[in-house]
Amino acid sequence: MSKIACFVEKYNFTDPREEAALQNFKLAAERSGQEFRFLFRENIEDIPNYDAVFIRATTDPLFTSYIVSKTAWELGLKVIDDPESITICGNKIHQYALFEKYDVPRIPTVFLNKDDLHHKKITEIFDELGKPVVIKAPYTSFSRYVEKAACETSFRDIAKRFFKKSDVLAIQKFTPTAFDWRVGVLNNDILYVCKYMIPKGKWKHGAKLRGKPTVIWGRTVSSEKKDMPTGLREVALKACSVAGKGLYGVDIKEVNGDYVVVEINDNPSIYAGYEDSMDKDIYQRIIAYLSE
Amino acid sequence: MLVVSNIDLKDDLNALKPSQFLESSIKDTTININNDYRYLKTGYYVSLHAEVLGNNVIPSCENIIDSSRTPILLLRAARAKIPTLPFLVTDSVKKIIAELKLPVVVFAVNPFIYEGYQVAKNKSALYRALKSLGMNYKFTVCAQPLMGKIFTVKSFLGKSQLEDEQISAITEKVYELFKIPICKVHVQKTEGKAFLCGLEPLKENELSKSDLELISKEIMLISQQGEHIGV
Repeated sequence: MSKIACFVEKYNFTDPREEAALQNFKLAAERSGQEFRFLFRENIEDIPNYDAVFIRATTDPLFTSYIVSKTAWELGLKVIDDPESITICGNKIHQYALFEKYDVPRIPTVFLNKDDLHHKKITEIFDELGKPVVIKAPYTSFSRYVEKAACETSFRDIAKRFFKKSDVLAIQKFTPTAFDWRVGVLNNDILYVCKYMIPKGKWKHGAKLRGKPTVIWGRTVSSEKKDMPTGLREVALKACSVAGKGLYGVDIKEVNGDYVVVEINDNPSIYAGYEDSMDKDIYQRIIAYLSE
Repeated sequence: MLVVSNIDLKDDLNALKPSQFLESSIKDTTININNDYRYLKTGYYVSLHAEVLGNNVIPSCENIIDSSRTPILLLRAARAKIPTLPFLVTDSVKKIIAELKLPVVVFAVNPFIYEGYQVAKNKSALYRALKSLGMNYKFTVCAQPLMGKIFTVKSFLGKSQLEDEQISAITEKVYELFKIPICKVHVQKTEGKAFLCGLEPLKENELSKSDLELISKEIMLISQQGEHIGV
């Protein structure tokens, strides 16, 4: 029997669909004879009492979740998300540099250093990527800190805001599509496939309504794994291979018949009735991986 | 050996500025000198660029992140036999009082505060420390018992200018483990023993002329000794 700690924060229980998914993990673990307990920040010192840690709280090298991940890793526990995956996926600059190194098909991307925010460089970027461009802070998640700029003024305005936290930003070619493929990958194998639809009139999965703070999300349409295009599978697995052997959600766009990676995420969202619609075994497979 | 530095070192070290290095693809053992290695800052991206190029680099990205997260710094240090005190990662005043007893020294564990620590000698000071370092209890803090006096020393490639054998031994061991060329190290001394407490970046204006000379001398020694920099 394996003792699994699932590291969560209170906000993981605010959405009933996420809470249901967390209960599904617990059920899957208990059905296979494993012990599964939720671990909150108050009990981090209990980590040595477990065999594996499964992190569901949002990850970032600067968050408590990294402390949990690295502590578990140092103690030799099995851990999802492992510290290296958090480091690579949590920083888009890091992953795009690796995509370039290992030739992963990707959206055309350039890096911008803080010292290079001047007219000549911005003009060069517009010449290379066209207008508009997408400016991404390296720590983006849930569609936040990703904005579109069509002129130098808005480019400077967005970049200055993002440079407050990071000295390097990623600039990408604007590539609008009706949906992004979201491919769940575990240990170099496909876990689930779905489409994250882009809300009508918007260009990213989570978008704000004009003048309002509320974020609207596109639908999640689940697909059969067996019907997955071969090219999509290959690109998804190649992208994840640069990060490691953990659990990832890869965002891929289909552009003129080619598959290009938007980004890979560790700690991918798993909501009951969404990502798991076609593949009810995802809970069992993740638990089995943790208790190996 | 390639030296990348955001501070002015002696000319004969032929150091590249971070912006020059980030635009290049020079493959060589790299030593990244920066007063501030914080995650997402230029000092971090220099090491990241070197690692993606496949270069051996001091410091590594992993060590940059781990050394700036106090609980991981202490965990790895303790495993490497560097003296440390027990610590708690929590947002609960009750727990700290129950398990560590007062007084305590408190470090922030969040993305926004990277410098300094607070000492809490009584319950109300502890509440204040957790409120400010935890940003209104939103984040956890790392608390350690305060048993003696805290000394803060500047460490340059493991060398400190303080003549205290125990503290020097700790800065050297911390450098051996994490290889952060420039930083401040917080050490607690009690009853003739010294314990590592924390580490933080140095501000550029905290570097004195003699500090710069010491850094240049140490890098010169490393480059003369050859490529063996123990990455």
